Amino acid sequence: MGQVLVLGLINAGIYAVFALGVVLVYRGTGVLTFAQGEIGTLGLYVAYVLVTEQHLPWLVGAAGALLVTTALGAAFELLLVRRMVAADPVSTAVLTVGLGLTILACEFFFFGASPRVLDPPFLAASFTVAGVVVTPTQVAALVVALALGFGLQAVLRRTDFGLGILAASQDAAAVRLVGIPLSRITLVLWSGGAFLAGLAALLVEPTVGTVTPGYASELFVVGLAAAVIGGLTSLPGAVVGGVVLGIAESAASRYLSDANIPGLRYVTVFAVLLAVLLYRALAPELRRRLAPAPAGATA
Amino acid sequence: MTSAAVRPLRLQVGRLPVPWTVVALLLAAVVPPLAGGTALLSDTHALVLAKGAGFAMAALSLNLLMGYAGQISLGQFAFVGIGAFVTGMVTGVEDLRLPWLVGVLAAAAAGGLLAFLVGLPALRLRGLYLAVVTISVAYVCWQGLFRIESIGGGSAGKVIPRPYVGSSSFSSNADFLALALVALVVVWAVDAQVTRTRIGRAFRAVKADEQVAASFGIDVAATKLLAFTLAGAMAGVGGAVYGTAYGTVTGDTFDYATSLLLVVIVVVGGLGSRAGVVIAAFFTVLLPDLLVALFGSGIRGLDLVLNGVLLMLTVAFNPEGMAGAVRHSRELRRQRRGGEPPLPPTRPHLPDLGRPAGMPAPRKTRPGTAVLEARGVSVRFGGLQAVDGASLRVDRGTIVGLMGPNGAGKTTLFNALSGALTPDSGTVHFLGEDVSALPPHARAARGMGRTFQLIGLAKDQSVYENLLIAQHLAAPYGVLAALTSLGSRGWEKQVRERADHTLDGLGFGRFRNTPVGRLSHGQQRIVEIGCALVTSPELLMLDEPSAGMSPAAAEDLAATLLDIRDQLGRTVLLIEHNVPLVLGTADELYVMDTGRVIADGEPGEVVTRPEVVTAYLGQAVTA
Repeated sequence: MGQVLVLGLINAGIYAVFALGVVLVYRGTGVLTFAQGEIGTLGLYVAYVLVTEQHLPWLVGAAGALLVTTALGAAFELLLVRRMVAADPVSTAVLTVGLGLTILACEFFFFGASPRVLDPPFLAASFTVAGVVVTPTQVAALVVALALGFGLQAVLRRTDFGLGILAASQDAAAVRLVGIPLSRITLVLWSGGAFLAGLAALLVEPTVGTVTPGYASELFVVGLAAAVIGGLTSLPGAVVGGVVLGIAESAASRYLSDANIPGLRYVTVFAVLLAVLLYRALAPELRRRLAPAPAGATA
Repeated sequence: MTSAAVRPLRLQVGRLPVPWTVVALLLAAVVPPLAGGTALLSDTHALVLAKGAGFAMAALSLNLLMGYAGQISLGQFAFVGIGAFVTGMVTGVEDLRLPWLVGVLAAAAAGGLLAFLVGLPALRLRGLYLAVVTISVAYVCWQGLFRIESIGGGSAGKVIPRPYVGSSSFSSNADFLALALVALVVVWAVDAQVTRTRIGRAFRAVKADEQVAASFGIDVAATKLLAFTLAGAMAGVGGAVYGTAYGTVTGDTFDYATSLLLVVIVVVGGLGSRAGVVIAAFFTVLLPDLLVALFGSGIRGLDLVLNGVLLMLTVAFNPEGMAGAVRHSRELRRQRRGGEPPLPPTRPHLPDLGRPAGMPAPRKTRPGTAVLEARGVSVRFGGLQAVDGASLRVDRGTIVGLMGPNGAGKTTLFNALSGALTPDSGTVHFLGEDVSALPPHARAARGMGRTFQLIGLAKDQSVYENLLIAQHLAAPYGVLAALTSLGSRGWEKQVRERADHTLDGLGFGRFRNTPVGRLSHGQQRIVEIGCALVTSPELLMLDEPSAGMSPAAAEDLAATLLDIRDQLGRTVLLIEHNVPLVLGTADELYVMDTGRVIADGEPGEVVTRPEVVTAYLGQAVTA
């Protein structure tokens, strides 16, 4: 039980950071982004080039990775999102699909399909919790996720810039009229989302030690589901979604290990996701059935 | 100058009887075997093209979903995989050894069934949930399902034998290519057939605007589910062909990236354009070899990069894709030849078409029963009490006005009456029946017609097409009839006749094939009223019909409203700001302010009441 919890929380942080990027962009622009996973993988390849090929310190590689991913998010917003002919959220979502596919294709083209080794930063410093070996980056992932989930929420609610973001998602035209710089808001959101994607990938990488094309997308699938489970607009919700899926996954692999189900991670995520959506679709109906006599209907 | 210029466009959605692409595909299917197979095409090229045919079917399936119904699947290639593996399980030497055709049908059934099960929870909610769920499906299939030994055949892969008829088999690639292209033509034909029917129209209506579609009686959730299920079945057939072309497939044949490639094909080819999508599919399959042939093998893999970039550029700068570009250049050419001069339509003279045969007769009520009666309706949006215990009554054969300053809650009340939103409390009775718990499409079926403040029409569709969409309930044939065109012809004839009559009555004959979005605002209003009336509803609910009209047009509108009441004998509930229009037409007037009904009665008297004047003009400053 304790083991399931610890293993679940280790992954939960990673999923949550991916989910936070999705929610951040969605909350401010109404666009669901599908490129987060590949942006993250790209960051890892940048770190690989700097650390493994150029023999620079790990932290320099990490900084480079975050710099490149953030810049990519900004460039994407400036060069494409901003200039779209039909700028509806669905078209922009398809645009992010294009970005993800382009990056994935570039990874294959420049680095090939075979895994590249990127050594973890603090190899020796692992410790044991409830019989599970835990590394510092795994702890860091959870801490970062929690801090970001609640910290970003506070920024949104408490600062003028954050309130501008919230207002922009309600009525972009009105926001522009009262003088809030909308273009700066969207630029920050897209670069921030890309930064979080890079961060999530960097946090999981030391656990695995290698990079392959499409690697972070496999985690992003779970992060995206976590964002949806958390309600898509709530930053703490995204963290909760990550925790739910992380624990569900570790529980499934603990108790269903004999069944030998391939792709168990995705099967679990898929099952939880469908259950949540089904519940949400049926909730209004259930509430009506379960509610006592409708109040105020006797006018 | 002449009307000969008004030729239907080939690449537009849903109006191509036998386009050249089908002819070309059929020729391509027939010629190689006749010419001795490998004589014309090398074996390798035939194989690539056969895979292309499977790919094209998969792309058509996604086009049906994205281009017609406006839903996104990012895991469509998983359904292709399901089709391939099921075909292998049905036809395989070590499995059931059934004929290939049975395998194809089983592939269609499996793809459709999976889509149905996945879509059931995902499509009840509005938004991009299907996209999220289908990504999971892609990973579950690729990393999970297809790695199960009995389905995917393990690391060796699943063998899918080529079909045979008697002694002749399709083992040569050129022969199988012919079969693959025939399958593609069949899928194309079914696709084309569906788009011509009420089901295809429902897809397009849902894509244009879900709320508007529901007001025409279209069950939005069921329509989206049907689109996804049909797309799953089509992808299954594509998988049967794709897998049989390969001969042996593994789970990695159906990875996530290829699902994204299908999105590229559909968007770049042009959403909703079969021809564009099929051409793009073949091009995509041929591209890798083409690049290698041109630039050498160092370039291998660059095709996927190009595809990704192409998708981004298309979405950002040319959202209508290849087909859109072709269409625009044709329209430009036609305009240069001197297109149709727009004529101002005459005042509409609406024909009384009667209740269509396909719709249930409106409920019989006792004399004195109101057509519509709302009691104590309240709607709350977060912290805002938009409608607060509003009650109103609309009697048969009257025009009832609903006025109130901006934000008074008129449209919210309208939405609660038509079912577009569920009130927190209160009841709505229509023709004596409690419809409070019914969704909007069910209320439309009972004889409620409505228009919208921001024009409730599918703007990208023609006037005529909108009149057909509006008659969704008047042609109640099922999916099977739509797929095969059996049993749907009679209904379609009736629906088209009614549309033609209405078109003439409105005086909009010249604009028959004009997309609604290109008409003036006032013209769109008239078309919208025509669409609301084409099924002869008992009650017509109009949300600010004169908004954006010139004073002269508003006067015409007043006359039309009186016609609707006196000539057609309909009942009208009318939201309006135009006081002369309301005073000139309404038999009774309700006034709302801050969510409550503050006055009702004879219109001329109501507008002079102090509380009404205050609501509109504010409190008098003098004490």
